[in-house]
Amino acid sequence: MATSIEDMRKSRKVLAGYDYEQAGVEKGYTGKTLYINISDYTIKPKDVTEEMKDIFIGGKGFGLWYLWNGIKPETKWNDPENEIVISSGPIGGITQYPGSGKSLVVTLSPLTKSIMDSNVGGFFGPYLKFSGWDALEIQGKSEKDIVVFIDGDKGRVTIEEVDIDPAASHLVSEQLTELLAENEKDKKNISIVSSGSGGENTNIGILNFSFYDLRRKAARMKQAGRGGIGTVFRDKKIAALAVKFSSLSGRSNNPADPAKVAKTGVKITREINKFDAEQFRMRQIGTANLMTPMNDYDLLPVHNFKYGSHPDAVGISSDTLRDRFTQNMPDGCWVGCALSCCKAVDNFELKTGPYKGDKVLVDGPEYENAAGLGANCGIFDADYVIEANFYCDTYGIDTISTGTLIAFAMECYENGIIDKKITGGLELNFGNADAAMELIHQMGQGKGFGKIAGQGVRRMKQIFAEEYGADPAFLQDIGMENKGLEYSQYQAKESLAQQGGYAMTNKGPQHDEAWLIFMDMVNNQLPTFEKKAEALHYFPMFRTWFGLMGLCKLPWNDIIPEGNSQTESPEKIPEHVQNYIDIFNAVTGKNIDQDEMIRQSERVYNFQRIFNLRLGFGTREHDAAPYRALGPVTEEEYESRIERYDNQLKEDVGIDPSGMSIAEKVKAMRKYREGRYETLIDVVYDRRGWTKNGVPKLEKIKELGIDFPEVVDVVKKNL
Amino acid sequence: MIEVNGKKVEWEKDMTVEKLLKKMNFTFPKIVVRVNGKVIEKSDWQDYPIPDQSVVQAHHLIAGG
Repeated sequence: MATSIEDMRKSRKVLAGYDYEQAGVEKGYTGKTLYINISDYTIKPKDVTEEMKDIFIGGKGFGLWYLWNGIKPETKWNDPENEIVISSGPIGGITQYPGSGKSLVVTLSPLTKSIMDSNVGGFFGPYLKFSGWDALEIQGKSEKDIVVFIDGDKGRVTIEEVDIDPAASHLVSEQLTELLAENEKDKKNISIVSSGSGGENTNIGILNFSFYDLRRKAARMKQAGRGGIGTVFRDKKIAALAVKFSSLSGRSNNPADPAKVAKTGVKITREINKFDAEQFRMRQIGTANLMTPMNDYDLLPVHNFKYGSHPDAVGISSDTLRDRFTQNMPDGCWVGCALSCCKAVDNFELKTGPYKGDKVLVDGPEYENAAGLGANCGIFDADYVIEANFYCDTYGIDTISTGTLIAFAMECYENGIIDKKITGGLELNFGNADAAMELIHQMGQGKGFGKIAGQGVRRMKQIFAEEYGADPAFLQDIGMENKGLEYSQYQAKESLAQQGGYAMTNKGPQHDEAWLIFMDMVNNQLPTFEKKAEALHYFPMFRTWFGLMGLCKLPWNDIIPEGNSQTESPEKIPEHVQNYIDIFNAVTGKNIDQDEMIRQSERVYNFQRIFNLRLGFGTREHDAAPYRALGPVTEEEYESRIERYDNQLKEDVGIDPSGMSIAEKVKAMRKYREGRYETLIDVVYDRRGWTKNGVPKLEKIKELGIDFPEVVDVVKKNL
Repeated sequence: MIEVNGKKVEWEKDMTVEKLLKKMNFTFPKIVVRVNGKVIEKSDWQDYPIPDQSVVQAHHLIAGG
């Protein structure tokens, strides 16, 4: 491998090139997308039709549409025809409103074998658009590692061989930024997408999207983490994608009404400046501000989601992590984001692994990392969490899946399902930070037990049952995956609505569709099945919208405007919803209202459901949840919250628990909770316009205007 | 007895919004409190009395990470 940037520069060999003239951005769209086939080196533009804009909008919508057209029902994740599509959206790239630099990545997942989408910050999506492309669609499979360069300044796309080691994402980002920049100042004009050795060795590979931090003089990274997109990336032998665009301005997105965009942005930026310090402290702690409240409300996953709190959680509490983050830095992952939540630990000295002794910048830990890698594995040590976070990112493996799958392996180890012989000597007891760290290295490097663990919880369940004689029913109960994707890090046992919010998702149990725990469990705002179903309609549709636009969800409700408490639905943050409608209209020149906003999402959401059907998924059986997500699996769990559960048996189920054994109580509770979950599915499907089997009805897809012949065909086959 | 988020809670003499939230372990930084339908601003929580038989809503404003 090249030992210097100069050597790397000399090693560049152009395999294919394409020169283009930028059409410019008009009302949030360039009207062109970039198709690259890395098998035969085709590079060509595609036109964005008005129908695409009207129905699929952008972001995830464009990704789904291209993937639908690019693959067949029998296509597998590692077939050359699988695609990786990256798209921001019409609002993506504005600098006036916080959280407007997101990209959505869509592919066929090695974990779920179906559609995966993952949202990510960093500069790549906006720079891609401003370089002339509303989306990047990559198909094919290279025989050797390649780098795709998109030079938005010169209007040139190249597929190149470059002498670079793709194993460590933090180095790939740093080196390619250095390679492409003409000087230090120029580095901010570059963004790199890379994965790492974990993308090659596991099914939970991620994509890191870089953004250059001028203050720190470092290429930092945000992650498209869910569902193994990095695994697809490395399977295609892509070492990296790089984009350069040097003319960013407040007008780059060329909105129809720039004054309106600016005015709306000024309003919320003032709110953030005024209220963040007394509300969620995003600018001090980022999403890790949730650590303490989640523990206080018994919602922090502990020991593979057995429990919701732990006395030692102070070791990774919000304030403990705040003290590790460098303060008073403009930590936005896109230009103009006043919420600045992507906190970092600077000069962290690594204690393990290939970079032991190096002082590194660690992006995070965010809430999910601290909760999953830490609490869920029974490890309440901030140093461990920070180091594990760093290595997951640079190996290119998903922190959320990593946390959940290590916690699962730990519970299996403690139950004697696996032992030291199987783990290669790792003593995977809850709380064993050294063993967990070693397992992360093994996953990243494709060694030892890491080769099994890195395949994910669903595959581990299969291996443990088939090869080690474990009880498949018990593994199903405690293995926290649905559709093949590992659960994200919230304890949902006491919120039926959130149980649905996790398991009735399109891609698997990620909280980006709905987070209803407080509305349901604490506020008791959803006391009936109908109210839960309404929330499980509205919030997934509302939140899908962010992924069509290039927007981050956080400025919606991680800052609360003045007077919000006096509104009819404070939980919806009506003023901010109106902000989004105003911005969409101001950018695109269209004139939508709140109803149309939800319908925009509904079209894409239902299309994604039908896409799952087309691939053999998407029906009711795939919305089943592991019982650990619904209630106490073991007597130990029941006893830990015995007062709560006994009261529920008495008051909710109508059973007198006195005189019952714990085993009998667990059984009675399970029957009750599983029955309620099935009823919830019925009511939610009905609200969404789906059959009892979860198939969108023909009248629904007609009403939404997505009744294309091939879509109707898929639906009819499943009715 | 009072009702908090639809559930019965024992009333205590000299109960204020602040004392109630403490009793419920409602530590979240952004809660909208209504006592008998009236929104009580955070600055008034310390002194605002909760009479017996009150209906209280303490709505936590959060929708996840």
